[in-house]
Amino acid sequence: MKKYEAVLILNPNLSAKVNSFLKEFESILKKNSFSIKKTEDIGRRQLSYSINNHNKGHYVIFNIEGDASRLIDIENKIKFNELIIRHLFIAVKEHQVEDSELLLDAKNKKSDVKDIDEKEHTQKEKEDDYKDE
Amino acid sequence: MNRYELPKKFDYKNVNLLKKFITETGKIIPARVTGITSSKQRKITRYIKIARFLALIPYTDTHK
Repeated sequence: MKKYEAVLILNPNLSAKVNSFLKEFESILKKNSFSIKKTEDIGRRQLSYSINNHNKGHYVIFNIEGDASRLIDIENKIKFNELIIRHLFIAVKEHQVEDSELLLDAKNKKSDVKDIDEKEHTQKEKEDDYKDE
Repeated sequence: MNRYELPKKFDYKNVNLLKKFITETGKIIPARVTGITSSKQRKITRYIKIARFLALIPYTDTHK
């Protein structure tokens, strides 16, 4: 048994299919007696350089544990899936328990947008208040 | 101030940290400049190469 991290970069244009694909991928993992410790759905992210003419990618990270020989079977199964534009399996000594920086970044960006929205709303409300006066 | 300080644990996902260790053109900054221990420099190098493959940081500044 070895610990791995699986990083998948999915086609951003097919975001609607992501959930069904992830379920399929999880079932493939389970069939090959891999256990999933953690899933991080990071979401869309700007790529540093274009891959197959894509400028954005949907990142998903799995913390998994299983046998090395079975890993090749899994890789062969997902290799020709058009939804995946890049994938990587890395062996790690220890799984990261807390959220990764990528996930935190993605969350912060979302909350930033929310904050701005809220600020704009409050400002508008204030302006409305002034108008009333 | 040393701008090459490292936390205890880091990996290829700490993109903001890794970005400190590449030049504007995307090259890895040599150990003689960063001044960190050689084992940590090796780790940084390995993680930068993983992060490049995953398009988290660029290989160069002139990607097609």
